[in-house]
Amino acid sequence: MNDANRPAPARHDPVTTEIVRNGLIAATEEMKQNLMRTAYNMIIYEALDFTVGLFDRDGNVLSIGIGLPMFIRGISETIKAKIRHFGLENIHPGDVLLTNDAYITGSHLNHMTFSVPIFHEGALIGFAGCMAHWQDIGGTLDGMTMDIYSEGLQMPIVKAWRSGVVNQDILDVIAMNVRLPERAMGDLKAQIASIRTGERHMLELAQKHGREELLASIDAIMDHSEALVRERVRAIPDGVYEAESFMDDDGVEAGKRIPIRVKVTVADDHMTIDLTDISKQVKGFYNSGMTAGLSCCQVAFKCLTSALDYPLNDGSFRPLTIILPTGRVVSAEKPAPMRWWMTFPMTIVDTVFKAMAPAMPDKVIAGHHADLVIASVNGYHPRDGRLFIYVGGLIGGGWGAKLTEDGVSGVIAINDGDTHNGPSEQVEVKFPLIVEEYALREDSGGPGQFRGGLGTVQRVRATGDFMFNAQIERVNCRPWGLDGGLSGAGNQVTIQRAGGEEAFFPSGKVLAEALHPGDRYVLRSGGGGGFGSPLDRDPAAVERDVIQGIVSRDMAAACYGVVFDEDTAAVDPAASDALRARLRAEGRPDDDDGLTDDGRRAQDAAARADAIRSQAGHGHAHHHGHQHFRHAHVRPEDDYELRLQLALARRCC
Amino acid sequence: MTVQSSRSSDNPQPTAIRLAADVGGTFTDIAAFDAATGEIRYGKTLTTPDTLVAGVVDGVAKAGVGFAGTGIFLHGTTVAINTLLERTGARTALLITRGFRDIYEIGRVNRPDAYNLYFQKHQPLIDRALRLEIDERLDAAGNVLVPLDEAQVRHIARALADMGIEAIAILFLHSYRNPEHEIRAREIVADACPGVFVSASHELSQEYREFERASTVAANAYIGPGVASYLDGFNQRLGEDGFPGTFLIMQSTGGVYGVTEAQRECIRMLESGPAGGLIGAKVLCRRMDLADAIAFDMGGTTAKAGVISGGEVLMTGASMIGGYMTGLPVQIPMIDIQEVGTGGGSIARLGPGGALRVGPQSAGAKPGPVCYQLGGTEPTVTDANLVLGRLAADRFLGGEMALDTAGAERALKERIADPLGLTVAAAAEGILRIATTAMAHVVRRVTTDRGLDAADFALIAYGGAGPLHAAMVAKELRIPRVVIPHSPGHFSAFGMLAADFRRDYVRTWFTRLATAPFDELERRYLEMEAEGRASIETGRPHLLDVVVTRSADMRYVGQEHAVTVDLPLTLFEGRDTAGVKAAFDAIHEVRYGYGAPDEQAEIVSLRSSVIGQMRKPPPEPLAGGTATPPAAAGRGARPVCFDAGIGHVPTATFARADLLAGNVVAGPALIEEYASTTVVFPGDVLTVDETGNLVINIQRA
Repeated sequence: MNDANRPAPARHDPVTTEIVRNGLIAATEEMKQNLMRTAYNMIIYEALDFTVGLFDRDGNVLSIGIGLPMFIRGISETIKAKIRHFGLENIHPGDVLLTNDAYITGSHLNHMTFSVPIFHEGALIGFAGCMAHWQDIGGTLDGMTMDIYSEGLQMPIVKAWRSGVVNQDILDVIAMNVRLPERAMGDLKAQIASIRTGERHMLELAQKHGREELLASIDAIMDHSEALVRERVRAIPDGVYEAESFMDDDGVEAGKRIPIRVKVTVADDHMTIDLTDISKQVKGFYNSGMTAGLSCCQVAFKCLTSALDYPLNDGSFRPLTIILPTGRVVSAEKPAPMRWWMTFPMTIVDTVFKAMAPAMPDKVIAGHHADLVIASVNGYHPRDGRLFIYVGGLIGGGWGAKLTEDGVSGVIAINDGDTHNGPSEQVEVKFPLIVEEYALREDSGGPGQFRGGLGTVQRVRATGDFMFNAQIERVNCRPWGLDGGLSGAGNQVTIQRAGGEEAFFPSGKVLAEALHPGDRYVLRSGGGGGFGSPLDRDPAAVERDVIQGIVSRDMAAACYGVVFDEDTAAVDPAASDALRARLRAEGRPDDDDGLTDDGRRAQDAAARADAIRSQAGHGHAHHHGHQHFRHAHVRPEDDYELRLQLALARRCC
Repeated sequence: MTVQSSRSSDNPQPTAIRLAADVGGTFTDIAAFDAATGEIRYGKTLTTPDTLVAGVVDGVAKAGVGFAGTGIFLHGTTVAINTLLERTGARTALLITRGFRDIYEIGRVNRPDAYNLYFQKHQPLIDRALRLEIDERLDAAGNVLVPLDEAQVRHIARALADMGIEAIAILFLHSYRNPEHEIRAREIVADACPGVFVSASHELSQEYREFERASTVAANAYIGPGVASYLDGFNQRLGEDGFPGTFLIMQSTGGVYGVTEAQRECIRMLESGPAGGLIGAKVLCRRMDLADAIAFDMGGTTAKAGVISGGEVLMTGASMIGGYMTGLPVQIPMIDIQEVGTGGGSIARLGPGGALRVGPQSAGAKPGPVCYQLGGTEPTVTDANLVLGRLAADRFLGGEMALDTAGAERALKERIADPLGLTVAAAAEGILRIATTAMAHVVRRVTTDRGLDAADFALIAYGGAGPLHAAMVAKELRIPRVVIPHSPGHFSAFGMLAADFRRDYVRTWFTRLATAPFDELERRYLEMEAEGRASIETGRPHLLDVVVTRSADMRYVGQEHAVTVDLPLTLFEGRDTAGVKAAFDAIHEVRYGYGAPDEQAEIVSLRSSVIGQMRKPPPEPLAGGTATPPAAAGRGARPVCFDAGIGHVPTATFARADLLAGNVVAGPALIEEYASTTVVFPGDVLTVDETGNLVINIQRA
């Protein structure tokens, strides 16, 4: 906020500053609630795929809703572009500024980004903004896109309202170019209501405290955030920290790995994140713009330094420099395709954590599943013959273990925050699909002294002829462990044809596959990486995991060196000690030992036979390393799986 | 709101005594209405966690009454919520549709604490090993896709009983649409496991959303055996004490239900204490002719707010028990009460760069504020009040506990005032202003978030710290009138005396409004109403009237979140679809800033409440006086700071017990009673009304 035209602010009052701080947080929270409860598409109201915020008159972040981390920069950069485009002098009360330019938002065209200037007694004091994911923005429905033009409507920076008067031509252009115009217009209304809420709150604050006091308080809030972050960065040992990982492929050149390299330099109270050596932009739609590249660095930085400092504001990022040349996969240039923009930045965040692990082991986290694990199904609903577009999944996956804690199971990836999955009961009401299973994915957590969280599995059956697409990443670059911890299971997508076999997709990309009645698709999310050697895990913790059925006995032995007595089902301490000693001597376990059953199946022809078998019943897959399926005539007391679970349950609690 | 009345043929006899007991975490409060004298008596004792009944019996004795002469005993208790929060419930198993046993653990996959790598999620009450899958499946229309495997249910139930499981919860997908499989499984389980507590989800919630319903039924089963035996024990004790009347339990809706229902649907009593306060506020509104009020309850660690709008308490359809981040959802109707962790014990601290923060850390009761001299070293909201003179060092809890003003001052000076370059008074005032805005935000959450303007409401403040802070909260929200009820420390128990029988029903039923068949609507409402009337039959001798309300959760086609719309009976009589639509458009406009009259609406769920009205205690008149308080009420003057820029000013102090109806006190002034102090700011004027409530008219800033 360095504006020569602005009068020097009065020295801020600490009490007013704190009151303003609480007010900004409450304002963004109410903006979020407002949008969530009035939106028309499930991606906004359940997935909460949006962010709202308040910005200063230069477009810097004062407070953004904590909904979706990777949107940390999107609205701000958009407002700055709008200011550059129109000039401040040409922005008036009642204007509603709009764009979805992917190279400004840094993300895909679905992100319609609205903002309004906030004028207090004629003076511009800031902006309220909202970026939300529209369900459809035109472009091709299925398959891969190779440039931005095939991805739908591009709306340059425009005024959707001019001084309070709607620019109907613009709205008509939008309505003509999207597949679900009623929903699009509903979401547009909801977004505008939300930013009006933010505007009202900001004006109330100006009214109550006085404009200059408000602006001075805002400066102080940003200064406080900066001071806090500098203190935290100073605590990190100076040095250069590097790490590398990879993405499976770009969806076009199958199997060609895409390198992700990060270099972090800490000097006193300042951090520099250098993404120069990251992959160049790619052919497939996994590119994102510079804004996304900056966002993932800021997200990683915030997580490591000031996760609980709110409101989230740009003061926090003053001690951070980001080096990112253009033309990289997260600073792509036109006409690079961007539809699946969100995937690679998540792995960049994880790779920054990996780089910083030696410097701040108690703050970082082992790798996580780092993908939204979504699938989309579209077609005509047998009930009314109308087009439906179902973006399903968001099934949540495993998070990495920490220095002192197990990872968390079944939670949304770092791109998202307060994002919800859709209740299966709701999915089945709205869409012609049957969710057959939604469960934790056993054995998927990376073994370690502290175990990675579990991924999940969701199996969905089609009841008609539909098209299916999935763009799952991190199938092969599994969530890594730290400090001797092993990797968790990778993400995965398969299709089980009715009466046919289960088809595995080696790098997770399924582009325009037809589903027929009775066909199922299966999404499996990865588990988190482990932390510390699994041979150091407390055997009682391994026993607890086995009783709960989240670690199989096979894995307990192979990765944790813990053996169970066949008769009592309790840990056999002597046998376990001996096995652990042997494994240590052999330099094991390694990541291959920790490969899950379904991970192996992906590469194993034997899996096909299993898939055929599981078709026979309403196949429940893989328990405790055994393949199992169910026949209607099996008596409950003869049911192996049931007997096993009941036997284990006796020992729990 | 629709009202259907049917006057009871019996004319209920007013029984001698109506007794209410609100068992809270720290105190057990008793309120007793003696119909013979028209008098309400109160008793307060420390809650006795091991034998809650003993505390109640003790309190009843303190109030000078007994169970033998009591006609109705109304009971609010924390036993259910504490069992849940402290995780001391039964060994519980969950039977669930095949493929879905982990939904209870997966939940909604959200991570609200978005940047915190050490985030946590909810912890299920039932271990994974005890979540067992059953072969059965319905589709979204309620059709059977896979028949219920009854042999499997029986086998599992027996195995669970053998291993000493005390409670079994049942959740099947789409049971809100067709509960047959749940009903059958429940029968089988009850038959196979006598003595085991069994609960099926449709008995509690017939709304879609399987995780929320699973969490609800799991929580009910988990607390069931403990709550049921608690009520049994209580009932037995009442018998021993010669109680001849009806024993009723307070629900989170503010209504009461019988012991039989309470032992089955335990989850409905989770928030019974706070609900009592809202019912008290509603009674007060009726008496004072207030349509709209905010009930504000502030204690040592939290402040809570609820709303009365148009004379009715505003409700919510679900709540997260234990907070948004890691709480467990419970999907049943309850009073919408929002809470913030701001109370007398909230600690003020400086953050990096000199940012002043109040809370969320609390000194609690121990070590407590610095001035308690129990080891607290960090200044709190209570210390700030003491330093400003609003609390008297020698009159706290009726003088039972001396407060250390010098210690409070020292802590404020060293830790806050000096580093910020403020005077001690300015620092103390700042702490209270910050605490006030935090509490004002919680009030906004129940008003502004619904499109209501808090400035149109009266503020009814109670709880130990409510009267101390009410005027500041009111000023912050531009609320013109504050009411401090008689006995603010007993207000929840007082409210319970005025509770009605109540049963609430919700049925998910998706239908476009334009094509909604009214006959079908009517049939579904009548079903709910019949169930409700049967359920409150136990209270028949005490009922004056039965009132039924109807509402529906509606949304525009394509939206997900629905708004509850009250549906007056006239709309049904006239089969007035357009009228229903107009009511929905209007409420959407109020709530969210826009309505869409041109767009189609749909119904998501139907709601019905059946209320059996009971006789309420009449207001207790207070002896009248003149505008000038009697000399006996005066406690002299002491220096109090209302504005740090001005400093301490001499302030008249009064004993509330000696004030008379009609007395007028102009601020600055303090009104003191046993467990709380009412602050009257300069410019504000307090009047004592005919029934002893303190009504403060707040000067417009």
